[in-house]
Amino acid sequence: MNLTLVLATLRQRFTSPLRLFIVLLFGWMPMLPLLLAPRTGFAALGDCYFLALALAAGMIGQDLSSGTLQLLLARPVTRAQYVFSRWGAVAAGTFLITVLQTLVAALIMALRGVPVPWGEAALFLANGALLALGTASVMALLSSLAAGIGDLGLLFLVFISAQVLEKVGMFKSWDWLARGAGELSGALKPELDLAPLLHGGPVAWFAVVSYLSTVTLCLGLAVVVMNRRELSYASSGN
Amino acid sequence: MPPPATDVPDGVPLHRADSPRRDPVPLLAVAALLLVLRVVLGFHEVRPQAATSSGAPAGADLVQWRTLEAGLAEARATKRPILYDFTADWCPPCRSLQRQVFADARAAAELESRFVPVRVLDRQREEGRNARWVDSLQARYRVNSFPTLIVAGVDGRESTRIEGFLGRDATLGRLRGTGVSLRWGVTGQAPTDRR
Repeated sequence: MNLTLVLATLRQRFTSPLRLFIVLLFGWMPMLPLLLAPRTGFAALGDCYFLALALAAGMIGQDLSSGTLQLLLARPVTRAQYVFSRWGAVAAGTFLITVLQTLVAALIMALRGVPVPWGEAALFLANGALLALGTASVMALLSSLAAGIGDLGLLFLVFISAQVLEKVGMFKSWDWLARGAGELSGALKPELDLAPLLHGGPVAWFAVVSYLSTVTLCLGLAVVVMNRRELSYASSGN
Repeated sequence: MPPPATDVPDGVPLHRADSPRRDPVPLLAVAALLLVLRVVLGFHEVRPQAATSSGAPAGADLVQWRTLEAGLAEARATKRPILYDFTADWCPPCRSLQRQVFADARAAAELESRFVPVRVLDRQREEGRNARWVDSLQARYRVNSFPTLIVAGVDGRESTRIEGFLGRDATLGRLRGTGVSLRWGVTGQAPTDRR
């Protein structure tokens, strides 16, 4: 990972007015129900999936379509470093907003006289960090495949296809299809709930392996796709 | 022609590294290994054991569902909340819920210790009508799809509602009151419409 690239990505993401608006919308709207019912706790904040999507959209594709990538890769940066830096920056940005959300939520609870459940806060942050890393990896792969913010379109397309296949599998009682489509659908939102672990429940090895598998596979494939892209000024269609 | 506007960061030096396109072979190897493990564990999760520790066949429901009257009486006596399972025989996600949660010995034991389980089986599609108590409970808890799990006190006040099958861990997490924001849309199986 290249720190300069990480910082540049964060600067790029947090200075886009539209992106900032979306981040504010998804980041601070959940505070309203918490203001009204502070006892709801951190669960009222939901998760950081849409925040991660807002920050991740076009993380590589926009560099491809704007021509920035050709110039950037003329520097001694490997394509793997580039992908990992983008991934790390998006995940870090999402986590940063989640931390701010948690602190503001804790403040609201404290001001309303509700004891702050710090254990729940830690769990919320840990789950948020895992979801941010997972979502950023999926978007890194999709963004390496599509120019601009076509990654969001790809995400939607895969999601709808998986849902349709899942319904077909369920109604035809084709368990293999329903299961496969369900897995594909779940892979679009790689998350790992640490609550059962913290409460002494059994380790859900399938969930752990599924999460790690999705993250590593998406990142590995994103680098492979980027390595095979021709980015010279003479090439077209990048 | 002027160069295109760019936001290439200044901190990146201007000479090229030796192999800028090297594939991340170790990462891909780990990813492949995890993928194989995922498939194996996935099959294991679908077909957990040939026989459970209780001797029941795989997939058999290990929760001892009470009748409504017995459940209400037990809930009053033990002060435990009632877990209503609104289900139907023809509903595929209900079968997944049974296979992955109610047929799991540890999960079944946990549910038995926390709740008084009462199953509300819909027979509308098979028999054209339901028993009156089934219709009454479905109306009271506004059940529009299967499976729906409702945790309610003896006074009937609903405290937890889970529609659709979220997956084993998420379902148990929500029933423990510790699950964090999982919805069926991305992570699990959608509920099936009641009608």
